[in-house]
Amino acid sequence: MNKKTSSATAALSMDRRRWLMRSSAGLAGALGLGTAANLVLGTKRAYAADYKALVCIFLYGGNDGLNTIVPTDSARYNQYATVRKSLALPSAGLLPMSGITYGMHPALQGLAPVWAEGKLAPVFNLGTLYKPMTKAQFRAEPGTSTQLPANLFSHSDQQIEWETGSTSALTRSGWGGRASAALQTQNPVISVAGSTRFGLTDTISPLVLPDTPGETFGAYVLETEAQKYAPNVLRKNALNALYASGQETDLTEAYATAQRNAFSVSERLGGLVAIEPGGAGALAAIDAAFKPLIADTELTTDLASQLYQIAKLIAANSTVGGNKQMFFASMDGFDTHGNQVAGGAPTTGNHANLLKELGDALGAFYSAMKALGMGDAVTAFTQSDFGRTFTPNNSTGTDHAWGNTHLVVGGAVKGGASYGTFPELALGGPNDVGVDSWELQGRWIPTTSVDQYAATLLGWFGATDGQLNTVLPNLVNFGTNRKLGFL
Amino acid sequence: MSQRDAVRLADQASFGPTEALVTSIRSKGASTWVADQMVLKTSSYTSGKGGEIHQFTGSGDFCTGKGDDCWRDYYSTEPLLWDFYRNAVNQPDQLRQRVAFALQQIVVINNLDVSGNYGFRNYYNVLLRESLGNYRQVLKKVIQSPVMGDFLNNANNDKDAPNENFARELLQLFSIGTCELNTNGTLKGGACMPTYTNETVRSYAYALTGWTYPAGGATSYGCYPTGANCRYYGGANDGDMVPVAKYHDTTVRPLLNGYTVAAGQTAPQALETVLDSVITHPNTAPFIGKQLIQHLVSSNPSAAYVGRVAAAFTSGKYQSFGTGQRGDLAATVAAVLLDAEARGDSVTRTGGKLREPVQMFTGVLRGLNGATDGDALSWWWGETMREHVFRPPSVFNFYPPDYPVAGTTLVGPTFGIHNANTALARLNFLTYLLDWGGTPATDSSVPSPTGTLVNLTAFTTDAADANVLVDRISMLALGNTLPTAARTEVVKAVSWWTSSTDAANWKVNRVKAAAYLIYGSPHYQVQR
Repeated sequence: MNKKTSSATAALSMDRRRWLMRSSAGLAGALGLGTAANLVLGTKRAYAADYKALVCIFLYGGNDGLNTIVPTDSARYNQYATVRKSLALPSAGLLPMSGITYGMHPALQGLAPVWAEGKLAPVFNLGTLYKPMTKAQFRAEPGTSTQLPANLFSHSDQQIEWETGSTSALTRSGWGGRASAALQTQNPVISVAGSTRFGLTDTISPLVLPDTPGETFGAYVLETEAQKYAPNVLRKNALNALYASGQETDLTEAYATAQRNAFSVSERLGGLVAIEPGGAGALAAIDAAFKPLIADTELTTDLASQLYQIAKLIAANSTVGGNKQMFFASMDGFDTHGNQVAGGAPTTGNHANLLKELGDALGAFYSAMKALGMGDAVTAFTQSDFGRTFTPNNSTGTDHAWGNTHLVVGGAVKGGASYGTFPELALGGPNDVGVDSWELQGRWIPTTSVDQYAATLLGWFGATDGQLNTVLPNLVNFGTNRKLGFL
Repeated sequence: MSQRDAVRLADQASFGPTEALVTSIRSKGASTWVADQMVLKTSSYTSGKGGEIHQFTGSGDFCTGKGDDCWRDYYSTEPLLWDFYRNAVNQPDQLRQRVAFALQQIVVINNLDVSGNYGFRNYYNVLLRESLGNYRQVLKKVIQSPVMGDFLNNANNDKDAPNENFARELLQLFSIGTCELNTNGTLKGGACMPTYTNETVRSYAYALTGWTYPAGGATSYGCYPTGANCRYYGGANDGDMVPVAKYHDTTVRPLLNGYTVAAGQTAPQALETVLDSVITHPNTAPFIGKQLIQHLVSSNPSAAYVGRVAAAFTSGKYQSFGTGQRGDLAATVAAVLLDAEARGDSVTRTGGKLREPVQMFTGVLRGLNGATDGDALSWWWGETMREHVFRPPSVFNFYPPDYPVAGTTLVGPTFGIHNANTALARLNFLTYLLDWGGTPATDSSVPSPTGTLVNLTAFTTDAADANVLVDRISMLALGNTLPTAARTEVVKAVSWWTSSTDAANWKVNRVKAAAYLIYGSPHYQVQR
């Protein structure tokens, strides 16, 4: 699992504090928290009536959707329990999803109130597809066919295809990036989870901000405070000269361009990203929603930390700029080949811990948006490499598969219902890629595509049909079934 | 050999040019210097503890009552990180360490999913030992490593329902890749033609079943599954895993490239067939060769360059380098470094690579006669820059080899962890090291601390003349002087410090200002 141990976190924060101490000693409060407070001063935040935000949460490694939402009717539950064996979640512990015959993993307790409000929707058997694909069609296609997503079951390829809305891992730009370009959003995709492919366009990189409140975002020598000092002014001039366009190589030019952008963005947003829970400039509505996930001034999980950053940026959307903003967060560690569940206790273990982090953080984020009065304007959704095999392996884990369950959360979501079609839980059945005995692991051929999912989200976000066709080139292959109806 | 070319080679084959190293390269010439590097005594990892964590039969947690540093000293890779940075900055076998560092980013394990530094110590010492040996042997040790076995679930893999994790990544990441390649690394037919199917993955998974941990581990609750050894990473043969017949599949398994595991083969026999099938596969030479180029020299090598390196891998020979065995890494590395595209004073528009954060840390420290014990470069700067050594997020390393660089048609692996956030952090690292004095030894929490510091004394002798100083550091860091317009502004910033602005420290402040700007420049940050 990609989790820092407590001692590691302690070491990290100790170093950070040391750094902050030294920085304020050296440059007289270079962090400028006072400035940050001014950015979001007051409790009434004006935002455009047509403001909308999309928040992608990528579950890296391939979340086991089959143990995220489980059918509760006895026929299908029995099919599930028979195949999943020691991985099967006991039916009694599943969180009821009133209105549909499914239950949630008990670790998703944080999303139970969201379901009750009708603001959560699962989308079933969703995956990369070039066009609608029956089992017969799938079996008939040669492995080299461009009618199939390239390199199924490979992490890197399937991540790229999900993030780029394509069926080739050679695609460079992400569907978030292309949507941002088509809709001419003021900012590129804003990521608090590194340089995601999702936010790339051919010409622009995503805007990557620190994932942790309080982290420095700015070059010390360039801070306003530092610029009152003559040597720093000269240093800035020299940096500007060094980073001028006209560099020797393409990569140097790209590097210099990124650096120039970073200089200007950090001046605008540095104060905002530094705001810590309970600190100067923090908003009570956000802090209250995240309260169970806050210890002292720090968020207790990586995803909570990222979503707290996003919540602040959405609250201060006029400072960030533009009435359409796309955000990207992520979690690692979903590649649960081994020890997916603790022996003898299937509701505990690695996967349960991951889902708890997801459910708690996403539930808190939804509450924060609602408390800000922006619930209807913000939709969060999951993406992931692929689903996992229905049949477990002998390491108490599951291997790489294809179609998967995803979650959409937000005030505009037509929740309380499911979308897409749950796969038939039969090994070798109509949804399983396999026929021969060696391949009967239950890898579902998706019945709903990434493109349809993205089109539903982007349609709500404001993209026209024409823009959708540009952003999602394979969408036309799905005829009139362009959107899934959850928004 | 020119200053510029010598600095290029130092960037490609070491953890950063020092004035002494560049002088040595210039006097020896590239080929002799590379040959000399290959026979130097191998540096090694020695810090950390033993396998007691996997022999603990008491109740409760192993670390109970063992102090605050127990997790760090036994479970984490931090002690190895101290060794890594000390060796990178100080030890003479620079080329071997650089190649091992490249290999550890290809055959990746991490300290997020598995822990126990005694096992990682074996693994990384094997990579240092074999880094100029043969890639088949590297893979053989990787497959048998108990840490890798634990990380990708091949330890105790059971023929009854094999785990596909390791088999898939062995093919996808460690040997042949997902698309069929020409010998020059370009895609066959210009598109991705899959090299294997899921059936192939399962065949490899079956062939690699039947390995368990070496004897020596113990727990209070026994060892599972039945007949397997407890988790343990130590003992003979670098702690290599041992066969366990009851879990090994003995069915005929067709592999790639015309190889088949015959019926009734033991796990060690099947392993040899697996190795033969991947080392001889036509993809392996360009797939591994290109990644070595990307790690050492250039993110976007020409197809011809990849072809020449792949040819050295295949023939096992490059000029006087190599044994003639396929997969020879001395020949492959020599081909990478001595190629016309790597040498000379100039670089094409598409050449170079964005320096990895690790290379930047060590480059500045080495260039400015510094020292580090690694402490500041792990949880602090390593995490900030998304390259905390030994802790990549997954087997896919810190960044992908094909990350697209926006605004270009090129890829830039390191751009996968580069963005507005880390861009500014690069400059702040220099502020920390130069203006705020780095981390003094007294602030470091590691044993035998040196802190993380530079020593600017040698440069203050030239500080009276800002032009001379700026050019001296430029020649060291870049191998040439800065472009005129930028140089003018840099000299201006450096010249602000005079005996009247700061009587006591003006010279050293000039060195700090010059070093900040030159090491912070795009000309340095992108290794050309």
